[in-house]
Amino acid sequence: MSSEGEQTVKLVSSDNVEIVTERKVAERSMLIKNMIEDLGAPGEEPIPIMNVSENVLKKVLEWCAQHKNDPAPTQDDDADSRKKTTDIEEWDQKFMQVDQEMLFEIILAANYMDIKALLDVGCKTVANMIKGKSPEEIRKTFNIQNDFTPEEEDQIRRENEWAEDR
Amino acid sequence: MSRPSSATGPGGRSSTPSGTARNLANLRKAQMTGLRSDDNVLASLRATQIVASKPVLPAELIATILDYLPVSDLARCARVSRRLQEMVYDDTRWIQKLKAMGVWNDGEARQRFDENMKKKAEAQRSREVEEARRAGGQSMNGHSGAGRGHARSSTLFDVGLEEEKHKISIGQADSPERQRRAPLADGFDELTISPAGGGLPPLDTTAALTILSQVRSIRGRARQEFGKVYGALGPLYNNLVRSRNQSEALIFRTYRDPEQQAQILSQLNRFSKCDHSEGWASREAKLESTIVAFENAVLREFQQGLAANDIDGRMKRYAHVLVTANGGAVGIDAYLNNDPVVNRSRRLGNLLDCLESVAPGHVDLNPSQSFFERLSEHMVDQASVIDRVFPPSVDVLMPLLSRLCDDLISDSVTALFDEAHSRGIETYVKAVSGVFEQSLRFVASIKPCKSSPPDFVEQARQTVILCFDKHIDLYLAEELAFFKTRSNAEVERWEKELSEQEANAESFFMSNIQRQAAKRDFLSSFKKVVMMPVTAFPLSSPFGSSKQAPTQPNPATGSTSRPMTPSLGDSNRSSTPQPEPPTTELAAKAAIMNNRLEGIKSLFSIEVALNLTHHAKASIERAAILTKSEGKHGPAAREQCETIFVELLDILGGKHIRPGFDKAVEHLGNYNPREVREYKSSQAPSSQDPSAAGGVEPLVTFLELVNVGDLIQQMIDVFYSQELVAPRLSDRDDFLNPAGKEKKRFEQMLDERVAAGLNKGIDVLMHEVEYIAATTQLPTDFNPPATAPGAAVDIGPTSTATAIISTVSSHTSMLSGSTDKTTLDIFTQEVGLRLFTLLCKHIKRQRISSAGAVTLISDLNAYASFVSSLRQKPLLPYYAALRELGAIYLVAIDPPGTYFGGGKGGKAKRASLLSTKASSTSLQAKELATIIADGQRFRGIFPAEEVCEFAERRADWYLVRGDVEGAMYGVGCCVM
Repeated sequence: MSSEGEQTVKLVSSDNVEIVTERKVAERSMLIKNMIEDLGAPGEEPIPIMNVSENVLKKVLEWCAQHKNDPAPTQDDDADSRKKTTDIEEWDQKFMQVDQEMLFEIILAANYMDIKALLDVGCKTVANMIKGKSPEEIRKTFNIQNDFTPEEEDQIRRENEWAEDR
Repeated sequence: MSRPSSATGPGGRSSTPSGTARNLANLRKAQMTGLRSDDNVLASLRATQIVASKPVLPAELIATILDYLPVSDLARCARVSRRLQEMVYDDTRWIQKLKAMGVWNDGEARQRFDENMKKKAEAQRSREVEEARRAGGQSMNGHSGAGRGHARSSTLFDVGLEEEKHKISIGQADSPERQRRAPLADGFDELTISPAGGGLPPLDTTAALTILSQVRSIRGRARQEFGKVYGALGPLYNNLVRSRNQSEALIFRTYRDPEQQAQILSQLNRFSKCDHSEGWASREAKLESTIVAFENAVLREFQQGLAANDIDGRMKRYAHVLVTANGGAVGIDAYLNNDPVVNRSRRLGNLLDCLESVAPGHVDLNPSQSFFERLSEHMVDQASVIDRVFPPSVDVLMPLLSRLCDDLISDSVTALFDEAHSRGIETYVKAVSGVFEQSLRFVASIKPCKSSPPDFVEQARQTVILCFDKHIDLYLAEELAFFKTRSNAEVERWEKELSEQEANAESFFMSNIQRQAAKRDFLSSFKKVVMMPVTAFPLSSPFGSSKQAPTQPNPATGSTSRPMTPSLGDSNRSSTPQPEPPTTELAAKAAIMNNRLEGIKSLFSIEVALNLTHHAKASIERAAILTKSEGKHGPAAREQCETIFVELLDILGGKHIRPGFDKAVEHLGNYNPREVREYKSSQAPSSQDPSAAGGVEPLVTFLELVNVGDLIQQMIDVFYSQELVAPRLSDRDDFLNPAGKEKKRFEQMLDERVAAGLNKGIDVLMHEVEYIAATTQLPTDFNPPATAPGAAVDIGPTSTATAIISTVSSHTSMLSGSTDKTTLDIFTQEVGLRLFTLLCKHIKRQRISSAGAVTLISDLNAYASFVSSLRQKPLLPYYAALRELGAIYLVAIDPPGTYFGGGKGGKAKRASLLSTKASSTSLQAKELATIIADGQRFRGIFPAEEVCEFAERRADWYLVRGDVEGAMYGVGCCVM
């Protein structure tokens, strides 16, 4: 492990496409980082990323390359650290301007590959999409079926009247 | 999963709740399909397909997403679908928010939960009883529905729940289900309070002021509790962060009173802590700036009040407002800055005055005293003002104190110490410990005010001590160095004086002998003085009180009176009256002693020892004050005290006493009685005869030295227990303690010197005794000329024996009481034994006639009675044997063969041996022989051979020898 900076790793997506990337970039993912540490000899053996397809993996790695020099994530992810999360950076905002399907794929991939910062960005993006929308709009945006009767829905609305912006 | 509907449908009979839900969903779908057209069915199918093809986020990710949503969006999300509603309603989400505001109490929640469970269990029991009754009634209907009976009962209960939702908290067999239902049910109940007609519920403005303190911690109801808070504070908060101009914000329009504004602002500040959604940082900053602006406005009012000294009016009011709004930090700050002492508009005196107009090496502590007094007065005044101005929830006195410490005390003290240091170490050490002591008293005089924490006194101490922090290390080092140089100087000065006197030292020695009685007297008086305080010392130490500095009360006496008098002034006179008499008495005695002790002045001086202990005492007392400070300095100071003590022993023992003893031993070694005697007689030929002087001069000196050494050791012991053990600076039982170890070493050194000296002393003493025996014992003493029978009647010990006894006894008795009992015993025994052998030798050198035997016996008796007076049991047999020895000279043997006349030749002996067999001579010889051979008589001390040797000293031995030996060795000898 002498020249870590130049080392490359081979990743294999779920549709069997090989992607070679810098080790430092790939190690933004805790999943890959742990795997490399367990395998010991990186570079030769391709690492399979089972649940992520090629286009999503490329997108994720693009983010990783951008953020490869960020400080390592701290391990304490309790309520307090959530409070301290900052607003989305400009680059990330642009990066997240993708269709909703891709957005969800990225979030799922980030979740699977254990990239906390990317996951946070994704979730915040989704939250921003929800913000200010009516329930019907939210349903539409996320393709959620309404399983309430109108009465039930009204009841819940009345329950949470206090939360409405005035 | 979905929540069970309250409707009683066919699903109510199914066995599991999930089954119920599925049934319900089916039912609804069937209804919906029934209502809607076929297209809708297809559309919904298509939608389902799309959902399936789309990636579906797992629950925990959705929960994460929800975390980033503001509360208003959360409420809308709840209306999207059952799954989302459940996630939004999740209790932990709301508990977390309540916790962020600091109003959720886990303990309280658990207690409530437990109480609930208990109630539930009770209700369950009563319900079971009822059920059993009902089941009893149902059994009349037939036993077919045993299984169904249970199912129906649960249904029946559901109805009951609807009816009396809130009057009693009811338990159910499957409690998880009930719990999940509870929030919804309670939610309805909650909302009935607010008018149902939508729109804005009128703000309960006064309730909002204290809304946060009304939050209850109930599990499963966190959302409702949060709802109450949000309902009250949310609009104000949102309005505030959105409004452009702070003064236009709703809160300032709603609330006119500054007290209320402060209250609501502090509530909002806490409320903002639960705002997690994006942009919280800017919102918080906005709130922050609003609070700061508000505070500044109030602060201006407060300062005006302060300037007008309107304590109970404006100052009090706005101080309370400030404290309510944001803890009141700015108000306290303003108040402190206005303090006359802090801003130096009032001066409390200059500590540097302490160094004005004083003799070098001294410090006038009165200016610092008054400085601290004024400071303490000021603190007391301030405490009362603070009590009036500030609410009891904020501690202002402590910040004031630390401010004073930082700005005023620390600076003045540093200036004083620096100046003192430049004037000399003595000034410095006195200043540091004196001022430190005063500052401690200052702390004791401060009275906590209402708002002070319970450990105020402790905290105040720490704060004040902190001012001295940087000085303590230097001080301790300086104190030790000061003590060392001063003690060494003392010893050196004394040595120098001594070497100047060296020339007349010899004459001192000589003249000394005449003053022995005086010295004896002095020793006893000295002992009296030193012993007296030892018994009385729990009250006050003689050394302590004699060194009483006017500015530094002795801790032993001062400590009893000081804590009761908070005022700084009167501690100075507290200690003076009581210890006065012993002080002067000791001083007088010491003067007399020193006068009389000139004889051993050349060896070591008790005065020097006293001075050294005084220095040590002063240093230790100064350093001991510092041990009251906590933290690392207390132990350091304690250690330093021990080091000072060790240093004292080192200087006193190593540099002073040991050379003295060595010199004394050397003198002893060089002693030659003959020379001295000659010298002495040449010096004082007319005064008296040499034997009357009756002492081996160096030995006397040495024994006195032992006495004084013992005195010093006792002094050190008293000092140790008084100065180090009593104030808990040192632990007597700790055998690893350096001070204790050093003390033991000192004692050991002393003992060793004493032992070595005694060894030499015995030699010298015996030498002297031998000299006396050799020079004064007249040959006629034990062999009186036969011509004067009348003169022999004088019975009694010879003058030699008397001289010897008086010499020995004077020396042995001198030691008694001054050294260790065992050492003394060994010494006496050794003297006794040596005297015994010496006497044996002496007797063997004499010629003793049977007439002189009486004298000898009386001599021996005198020796024996002297030895018995020594009370040394092991010696008694020797002297008893010696007494018996006299008998062999007493046996009168008529010289055989009178016809030979005074002939004393071998022929005559042989003739008598051969010729006369049954003569009176042979009988008497036999008698003597039995005495000689009687081992019993001499108790094994003398074997027959040795007794024989003694017998040889008979004046007539050569006349009777044949007979005696013949009698001793029996007939066989004759044949031979």
